[in-house]
Amino acid sequence: MKDVSVNIHDANAPVKISCKDLTMTFVQKGTHVVPVLDNVSIDVHDQELLVVLGPGQCGKTTLLRMIAGLETPTNGTISLDGEEVTSPGPDRGLVFQSYMLFPWHTVEKNVSIGLEMKGLSHDDIQKTVSHYIQLVGLKGFEKYYPHQLSGGMKQRVGIARAFAMSPKVMLMDEPFGQLDAQTRLFMEQETERIWLQEKRTMVFVTNNIDEALLLGDRIVTMEGKLPGRVKSSYAVDLPRPRDPMSIGFLTLRQTITDEQELTL
Amino acid sequence: MAFETVKVGKPLLLRILPVLSIVMFFTVWEVSVAPPDVHDWRIPSTLLTSPSDAFKLGIDKLTNVNPDGATLLTHAYVSMQEAFLGYILALAIGLPLGLMMGWFSMVRGLARPIFELVRPIPPIAWIPLTIFWFGIGLGGKVFIIWISGIVPCVINAFLGVRMTNPVHIQMARTFGASDWKIFTSVCVPSALPMVFGALQIALAYCWVTLVGAELLASDQGLGFLITMGRNLGRTDIVILGMVSVGLAGAVIGVIIDRVEAKLLAGIRR
Amino acid sequence: MSNASQNVCNEVIVAGGDRKPFNIVAFLRNEYFLSCVSLLFFFSFWHWAASSHVLGHTSALATPMEVLSRLAELFTSTLAGLTMWGHIWASLKRVLIGFTLAALLGVPLGLVMALNPYVNAIVKPIIDIFKPMPPLAWISVAILWFGVQETPKIFIIVIGSFIPALLNSYNSVLLIEPELYDVVRVLGGKRWDEIRLVCIPASLPAISAGLQISMSSAWGCVLAAELVSSRSGLGYIIIQGMKVSDPAMVLGGMVVIAVIAWLISQTLEWADRKLCPWRRDIKSF
Repeated sequence: MKDVSVNIHDANAPVKISCKDLTMTFVQKGTHVVPVLDNVSIDVHDQELLVVLGPGQCGKTTLLRMIAGLETPTNGTISLDGEEVTSPGPDRGLVFQSYMLFPWHTVEKNVSIGLEMKGLSHDDIQKTVSHYIQLVGLKGFEKYYPHQLSGGMKQRVGIARAFAMSPKVMLMDEPFGQLDAQTRLFMEQETERIWLQEKRTMVFVTNNIDEALLLGDRIVTMEGKLPGRVKSSYAVDLPRPRDPMSIGFLTLRQTITDEQELTL
Repeated sequence: MAFETVKVGKPLLLRILPVLSIVMFFTVWEVSVAPPDVHDWRIPSTLLTSPSDAFKLGIDKLTNVNPDGATLLTHAYVSMQEAFLGYILALAIGLPLGLMMGWFSMVRGLARPIFELVRPIPPIAWIPLTIFWFGIGLGGKVFIIWISGIVPCVINAFLGVRMTNPVHIQMARTFGASDWKIFTSVCVPSALPMVFGALQIALAYCWVTLVGAELLASDQGLGFLITMGRNLGRTDIVILGMVSVGLAGAVIGVIIDRVEAKLLAGIRR
Repeated sequence: MSNASQNVCNEVIVAGGDRKPFNIVAFLRNEYFLSCVSLLFFFSFWHWAASSHVLGHTSALATPMEVLSRLAELFTSTLAGLTMWGHIWASLKRVLIGFTLAALLGVPLGLVMALNPYVNAIVKPIIDIFKPMPPLAWISVAILWFGVQETPKIFIIVIGSFIPALLNSYNSVLLIEPELYDVVRVLGGKRWDEIRLVCIPASLPAISAGLQISMSSAWGCVLAAELVSSRSGLGYIIIQGMKVSDPAMVLGGMVVIAVIAWLISQTLEWADRKLCPWRRDIKSF
């Protein structure tokens, strides 16, 4: 096992995304008011891999969608590099939990579609697409249709699609939730590898503690019930690649597990 | 719908637009038809009848047997009777046949070629042959309606059984169930949603075929009313017939919906 | 899904290996054998019923051989100025014109209705009023308005095929996974990109299915219109057969009608596979 102390994040790095006092309420069926987030404030530092950890139904997906611009908070502001976020855009890449690939396009076309919308030249698109397909390890599968791919491969296409837009921030919404345990572990390691190779700010939402510790520079935990609130924040000062059997890893794991209340 | 964010109720405009639309439709229709024997810029009454005139005629024909030989209700009753008979027969024969075809290869082998031969023929095309065999009467029309209704019943029942979750079947086999037992306790219940879909589709087919059959080979019924109206040059009777056919079809559709909702009250679709 | 989903019946699956010795019982129960038996029985019964006049009068049915010879006649000689080919083309032409018009009207309108709630609020109630009215009910009115030439027939065909095309294209948009729109928005697309990149491709399978229904409705409508009043077409052939008490002609016409309908549906299915090559979970009969 390599003991490489690489890329421990710098806590004094500038703040990339700033969420202040976010409150969100949904109205269902015209009258039923559901509070989803309550005064959530989170700062994401530049080049940091922030993990938002929480059990199901705690508002973390809504938080991510708000950063992406797909939802508007009832109260509070979100700013990226100082500018307020109001609508979705290619500067924030989003990887969906259920892959959301276009079934009528090949892998290649799925990755290139955003670039075509940007208006890049054909050669540029070709270069970018093949670079990212190779980065996620899908070289040779360019002409395949999504229904011919496994779950892990589909998600890799989703990651390539988001990365290809060269976003300032990568947002990942429980991307491995639908995969089996071994594929999930493999994908976590792949994500770490990809992130180390093409560093950028990332916000990763998950409900899996091991996943959070494997990937995160910093972990923000949320309360286990609606409305969602931030519980605490942990800095993960462990060397990469992470060793799940090291003392530091296991100690932190114990701390976080103890802190999580068991929600049924 | 896919683009709207969550709103508290629909905006007022969206709620009244449908009503406005219908009102406008009837108003334009009413206003654009001239009364009988009046010739101006409006559509002459030989080509179209206004809704008010059609309605008046409808009220009149509830009791008046002229000029076609029966009251409106008699016609409607005859039509519904024929449709109902053909429909029920189609369900009674088509659904079990389709279900069994889905499961038992012997039934499938025997029935399928005949079904595939008959299936591409549009039900309307059977009319001349039926007139040969049954003449112009209840039997012929019921036969045609039965043929038109049986096709969707068989297809849907067949597909319903084919779509049974193979895991359930394997589970039943591990219990040692016989083929017939598996059929009755696994395949048929799991085919129910498709079967209920067939109820609606078959009804639509039956009603459409009924009107066609009555247009050509009948002396009673709503379709006959329409044809008679044309033969007599009475556009208002034609329009009345059309409206009645539409209304009756809608009413039957609603009844089937209610029946289905009651029967499916516990089963998740 | 694996091939397990195909094995829903009680067929005996031989998983490779030794071939079983010939078993007479299994042979008799084999599906394909039974199909042949069934067909044989069907044609024999038909022949017997026709020749033994079991349905009463002599002109109720014709034997299969009589039908075939009548068909051969019709294909070579003329009836009302056209050979059978001419009649086939007359019916087909009407269907094609009517179906194309209906598709051009119905599919875009369905899409617009599904995408714009205001258009939906205005148009849907009118559609709902006309939906339960069978297209054939319009025949009398159509003849009144347009005479007895081509127009009323095309009018009926349009009415009959317009509604299925519209409803399917409308429903297809409603079935689209809403998150797919999010994908486009996150990639920087606007409303028009959402429609172009998601709505239209995602609704193609359902639109295609709707057009198949539309076409079979069109075929039924053209026949009905021709039965009521026409001087050409396949419907004319069978009504003529009825008028001159010639069951061979009627049956021959029905055979041709069935064959053409089958050919059309196969063509549309092929086009559907070409247009939508990605997998869909719809099992077929």
